[in-house]
Amino acid sequence: MTKTSQINRLSAHVCASARTDTSVIINFTYNGRALQGVAGDTLASALLANGVNVVGRSFKYGRPRGIVGHGAEEPNAIMQIGSGAATVPNLKATQVELYEGLESASVNGWPSVDFDLMSIAGWFSRLMPPGFYYKTFMYPAKLWMTYEHFIRKAAGLGRSPVEEDPDCYDKLNQHADVLVIGAGPAGLMAALEAAYAGARVIIVDEQAEFGGSLLASTQRIDGQTAAAWVDDTVAQLRTFSNLQMLPRSTAFGYYDHNFVGILERRSDHLGLCASAGSRQRMHRVRAKRVVLATGAFERPLVFSHNDIPGVMQASSVSTYVNRYGVAPGNQMLLFTCNDSAYQTALDWHRSGRTVVAIVDSRSTPNGEIMAAVAEQGIEVMLGHAVIEARGSKRVKSALVAPINAQGSRLVGAVTRIACDLIACSGGWSPAIHLSSHTGAKPQWDAAIVGFRPGSSLQQERSAGSCRGTYRLSDCLTEGADVGAQAAQLAGFGDAKRLFALPHIEEYGEHPQQALFLVPHTKRSSRAPSQFVDMQLDVTAGSIAIAVAEGFDSIEHVKRYTALGFGTDQGKLGNINGMAILAAALDQDIANVGTTIFRPAYTPTTFGAIAGRDIGGLFDPERHTAAHHWHVRQGAVFEDVGQWKRPWYFPRSTASGSVETIRAAVDRECLAVRNSVGILDASTLGKIDIQGPDAAEFVTRMYTNSYLKLAAGKCRYGVMLKEDGMIFDDGVCACLGDNHYLMFTTTGGAAGVLAWLELWQQTEWPELQVYFTSVTDHWSTATISGPNARRVLAKVCDDIDLDKNAFGFMDWRDCTVAGVGARVFRISFTGELSYEINVPAHYGRHVWETLMAAGEEFDITPYGTESMHVLRAEKGFIIVGQDTDGSMTPADMNMDWVVGRNKVFSFIGKRSLYRSDALRADRKQLVGLKTLRRSEILPEGAQIVFDPQQSIPMSMQGHVTSSYYSANLGHSIALAVIKGGLSRMGQVVHCPLADGRTLAAEIVSSVFYDPKGVRQHVA
Amino acid sequence: MSHKIALETPLMHAYGQFSHQQYRANSEVTRGELGFCVVIKELPLCSQLNIRGDAACQNFTSGIQQVLGIELPTEPGCWHFSAEHSLYWLGPDEWLLVSQGPSPDLEAKLRAALSGHISLVDVAGGQSILNLRGAAPALAILLKKSSVYDFGGWSDAVDGRGRCAQTTFAKASAVVANRPDGSFDLVVRRSLADYIGRWILDAGREFGCRIEG
Repeated sequence: MTKTSQINRLSAHVCASARTDTSVIINFTYNGRALQGVAGDTLASALLANGVNVVGRSFKYGRPRGIVGHGAEEPNAIMQIGSGAATVPNLKATQVELYEGLESASVNGWPSVDFDLMSIAGWFSRLMPPGFYYKTFMYPAKLWMTYEHFIRKAAGLGRSPVEEDPDCYDKLNQHADVLVIGAGPAGLMAALEAAYAGARVIIVDEQAEFGGSLLASTQRIDGQTAAAWVDDTVAQLRTFSNLQMLPRSTAFGYYDHNFVGILERRSDHLGLCASAGSRQRMHRVRAKRVVLATGAFERPLVFSHNDIPGVMQASSVSTYVNRYGVAPGNQMLLFTCNDSAYQTALDWHRSGRTVVAIVDSRSTPNGEIMAAVAEQGIEVMLGHAVIEARGSKRVKSALVAPINAQGSRLVGAVTRIACDLIACSGGWSPAIHLSSHTGAKPQWDAAIVGFRPGSSLQQERSAGSCRGTYRLSDCLTEGADVGAQAAQLAGFGDAKRLFALPHIEEYGEHPQQALFLVPHTKRSSRAPSQFVDMQLDVTAGSIAIAVAEGFDSIEHVKRYTALGFGTDQGKLGNINGMAILAAALDQDIANVGTTIFRPAYTPTTFGAIAGRDIGGLFDPERHTAAHHWHVRQGAVFEDVGQWKRPWYFPRSTASGSVETIRAAVDRECLAVRNSVGILDASTLGKIDIQGPDAAEFVTRMYTNSYLKLAAGKCRYGVMLKEDGMIFDDGVCACLGDNHYLMFTTTGGAAGVLAWLELWQQTEWPELQVYFTSVTDHWSTATISGPNARRVLAKVCDDIDLDKNAFGFMDWRDCTVAGVGARVFRISFTGELSYEINVPAHYGRHVWETLMAAGEEFDITPYGTESMHVLRAEKGFIIVGQDTDGSMTPADMNMDWVVGRNKVFSFIGKRSLYRSDALRADRKQLVGLKTLRRSEILPEGAQIVFDPQQSIPMSMQGHVTSSYYSANLGHSIALAVIKGGLSRMGQVVHCPLADGRTLAAEIVSSVFYDPKGVRQHVA
Repeated sequence: MSHKIALETPLMHAYGQFSHQQYRANSEVTRGELGFCVVIKELPLCSQLNIRGDAACQNFTSGIQQVLGIELPTEPGCWHFSAEHSLYWLGPDEWLLVSQGPSPDLEAKLRAALSGHISLVDVAGGQSILNLRGAAPALAILLKKSSVYDFGGWSDAVDGRGRCAQTTFAKASAVVANRPDGSFDLVVRRSLADYIGRWILDAGREFGCRIEG
């Protein structure tokens, strides 16, 4: 292999534990530079191998920043990956697996990462003190626009593609007895025990490989390497058919009822625009029990200029060396307050590079690992601290000074030590994020110097380092126990461990020191910046300022300083920030408490949340039996609920152009009034009602009575909610003894069925009645117009169609086009009409037969627009268009439909007698005729009595329906106007948004055939 | 007046449609070179009755048994079937009866055998039955994509009885039932059959999926 660019790549024989394969070279670009990594690298490890120091500029101050961590906690290495439509912003380089041809670019840095105007100008930090947003919002408001321009540009939060996303995302609904989150030592043991007990187990881990911390560990388990133990354990898990493994999957949110959202990255590691399957898959898991084994984050140490590239987490340095075979520097200084970080010195030493010294803040530690370090001849400076890093784009040296036992002040002279890498460890913080999502309140534990998960509010338990258990042997034991218990609680096994725990050699540890802020020769507000939250540039000094300005709640300080607000959710900075605040307030950390972590744990793509519910699958489309006929006729469709209904049927003219909607609707309306039209009315809701109490029940639901409705007859009814307001209407037919068919509006079908069931089941269970939806069973063709009877007569010869034998509001069982049918003589156009219902499998056949039979009468298919015009000509209301849930029957001038003397009453009756329902100035339905006959009022137009009145004008009502009527030769409108029924003949005005004011006369809402003779026609 | 009566099932127009990950040219499909792991087969039209009644009423349960020769399933989420009839539990007082072939007098026979408060409604025109067959993991994943219901928790169907659930399917609903041969039946609403067909084709694309009649 060529090592020309990879100056920090360790050779395989130096680093046998590495999971990378140096024989497979992978080419990638970073900010346009062509670089090389190897198989198994993350983008971060490859950048470090290439000696890339600066990966971004800080949010506020524009300071150069380098890679700090190795996972989800990374605050600085935020990248834009790829270009064009498939570009992805804001990925952490530590979580991006390297693939051939990967293109990466820093998102932070203007005009470039290496040359940053802002940090040179140096004025920006003065522009943005803590609480900057709040202060800016408060005063002066005008300047916000100016600030925002710079903030947006400076923040550089990446670029979302403007093109359509070319990738496919999908969702899977999963069920598990035990869901294990995290496949480190505790998670692996939990999954093993739960699966062995027989439970359905899902184990997820955000990394490409299972193993968690063990992948970078040099510990030996049962005499073999940790990685070999992981391989064996994973192989064992694979033998269980009741266990599902999800690598590259992040549990991003833990919701109520043990519902966990998991994002699986299926092809991101293969490159952009995967050719096969989905790029990402959202697993929506419902688990009986959840085991949280999410691990812990190493805590940074807060000292001056701790953000200079080359200051890293000690565990991350170990991970890069041990797992990736990359040594990110040459001369390492280790700064720690605990034993665990000593391992990093041993790892670094083994890589062949120099450990300058270990700086330990504790005065008298005596952990067993110290002997191992001494054996290697590594210098240890006890009771010392790194108080400041020096350098600009890379650490050049560290200022070290002795500190007192409490770690609160310096007690000696400052010395300067040359180094190019400062590995830091401030102890560990359990990853309690998912536990917090459930609402469990984190508990401070001074013994582990960290927050443990609070008592469980869901069916979950934490195991391993995410609950503060740090020794490997303890993690394995706890994981196994919790896994066995979870299985038992889900109904499997007896909660006893079945696997022997491996033997591990471990060092006896000396307690860590709680060190949240390293003292400087100057106090925090004067010392060079001591960064707490790197991503949002929150310093110890700015927390001190927030306290000085009067903030004393952690939730307020968080918002004032933006601590933990970044895409990393403060995974590194939060605990130090809270501790610094507690110290400034002179309180315990336990009292100050912590902020609440919320989903998502790491950023989640919108594509995965949408899944396949996009485009043509966004919302279900319901089709009638004649749908494909309509499509072939060139119908333009309208959405009514989820139904696709023909809106109008434009014809092609001789010149080849297509009719406008106005021309088509005029033609269709004239055809219905002059000959015959045909409408697909299949979408109307239909409910079959059977039972001895059916008539009584129906009568309680409608405002009018059905007790005396004979078989073969229909009646129009209106339904009210308890408040007396109209909520649905339709025809109800008596089919026979105790048997009714109720029609509902197209959009109201499901709601009416639920309403019937609600009243039957909860209020009147003593009424014996059953409801069954038959909406889909029947296909309905309505033929309407003076020639309707002649058309029907051609295809139906087994009933007498004479007007006296088959009268208006009658229905008959008969045979139409050879098919058993129910024909209803009801009318929504005011013309002679027959609604022909046949089982839907015959729908297309009957429709086409009617078209053929009607040919000699030029039968004209019409859509919903013409239906609306024709019914408006007759003043028939449409519930939901002319009503809006605040209209009584009287408001609609339909008191005739209210049977006030019914024995039992009906739903809503009482409310009709409220004083408000009886007001004379309620909005009432009237007709409107524009004074200029061709002007069409816009639907929704507000109505005033005095057009000269100054604004605000007195609104007197609004237009509910408005059309041009070709039959009448002028426009017509329906409107609701205060006291409208007593204002017949008065002129009202509609002031429009475009400045015009249209005048109209109040007229009867029935414009056409007011006596209704046509629907009774012979 | 004589008429040639044409029947149309809701998914008829989609027979032959397919989705496939490796699809490149139509010829590969016609030559039969592509493997389809999932097949949606729309079953022939049959009679379907929605039955409501009181399961605690001896008259009702024995009447059903007597006419159909199978026991009414009263355990939630179960269906019973013979060669001729299938009875799906839809709710504590609601069942779906599916019978093979035309049986125009079945409703009359049931009405004659059952007394008391019952409801029998012909719903044959409003529903279609889709059989979903294929390799076990592909079918399981397809169902997981389509419904929040835990079909994986079901016991296998045996001769005469299986599990069923009336539940969400994509953004619509369906009665889903398992069969002894490992396939699943979906009873879907006619108006939503096209949407569900398109949904399944999309969800089955990674395995190869086609619709047949």
